[in-house]
Amino acid sequence: MNKLKGNISGVQSSDNISIINVDVNGDEFSSIVLEGKKGPSNYKIDDNVTILFKETEVGLAKELTGLISLRNRFKGVIKRIDKGPILARVIMTYRGNTIESIISSRSVTHMKLKEKEEVEWLVKTNEVTLMKNPA
Amino acid sequence: MIKIKVKKALVSSRGPFQINIDMNIPGKDLVTLFGPSGSGKTTILRMIAGLTVPDEGLITVDDEVWFDSDKKINRSVQERQISVVFQDYNLFPNMTVRENLRYALQDKKDEGLINEFLEIVHLSGLADRLPATLSGGQQQRVALIRAFLRRPKLFLLDEPLSALDFEMRLKLQDEIQALHERFMIPTVFVTHDLGEIFKLSQRIFVLEEGKISRSGKPGEVFGEDMLSGKFKFVGNILTLEKEDFIYIVTVQIGNNITKVVATEDEARDWRVGDRVLVSAKAFNPIIMKV
Repeated sequence: MNKLKGNISGVQSSDNISIINVDVNGDEFSSIVLEGKKGPSNYKIDDNVTILFKETEVGLAKELTGLISLRNRFKGVIKRIDKGPILARVIMTYRGNTIESIISSRSVTHMKLKEKEEVEWLVKTNEVTLMKNPA
Repeated sequence: MIKIKVKKALVSSRGPFQINIDMNIPGKDLVTLFGPSGSGKTTILRMIAGLTVPDEGLITVDDEVWFDSDKKINRSVQERQISVVFQDYNLFPNMTVRENLRYALQDKKDEGLINEFLEIVHLSGLADRLPATLSGGQQQRVALIRAFLRRPKLFLLDEPLSALDFEMRLKLQDEIQALHERFMIPTVFVTHDLGEIFKLSQRIFVLEEGKISRSGKPGEVFGEDMLSGKFKFVGNILTLEKEDFIYIVTVQIGNNITKVVATEDEARDWRVGDRVLVSAKAFNPIIMKV
């Protein structure tokens, strides 16, 4: 599980759904949750939260241009690549944190990913879980 | 509504401590008392049952006062109309299942209930057998329905399923749930099993050193509500299989078998039988009519 700590910087809600923005060391992440105006407001500005997302939900990109719907896209540097017959694990450093991505070995080969290389990593808003940190 | 507000000084292996609790059981809820051994759970059950006298306090069930130290009221065990089920079955060995149950009837008009109860716990075919010829799970079922047949005002369960294997526990959990829903008798349940708590209880009281440190719905108390995921289940790990850089974890959730992918780092500390919370965002599952 990838985990990053941050603070809520924005909440936009409809009746049952909210997009929560989380500031992680200056980068803005977004998470979409099934909680809206109709329920209790569990997420407030400045609340301390941990964002969680699975390694298998992290995509990687190189030389990405054009428009893309994914809001969560950040730069990381590849620290290590472990390649298996089907799956590969790409370990990156991102602002002092470690982010892992599990993608197909085929993609690693196709993208010619190498250690020390800068890549963009992406995760969809609806794959990001929020965990409230005890005050 | 059941109110239990009592104090009692005790000496444990770690020295003297005091039970000092104030708990309310609204309506006909099934509530769990959860805590490490030596935290006072059994003493609390004994005080509710009338087997141990509190130093001071008040125990009321609906409008009846069972214990009031100020007014010097202390009803006897018999007057309190409580049923208790422990880990041991305590069935009469020389009586058949039906005779054991008939013996418990307060009102002989309830005779017809025996068959209904036997059906709920799937024992209809074994009514004429002696307890010794039944398995542990079957004997515990007889003990459970015998306790219900007494039509108690309050039902106390002290780790009734802990001597049973996992499969049998799941079945008896379902049956306790069915019996509770059918007869709505307020129940205080002592257990260490998280699955039992999540499945059966409406409210949990966490006991530490004689005091209630936390209480609420199981999800609130165990921090599971801290996660925003809406697709959440508690289950048990059945197998852990490694594939490349991931583990495929088979988890039994209720009667369903699911598979979840985890990383090596996560799976390193997990063992078969561990209880786990499986969570996903509400957006991920695909739903289809069958």
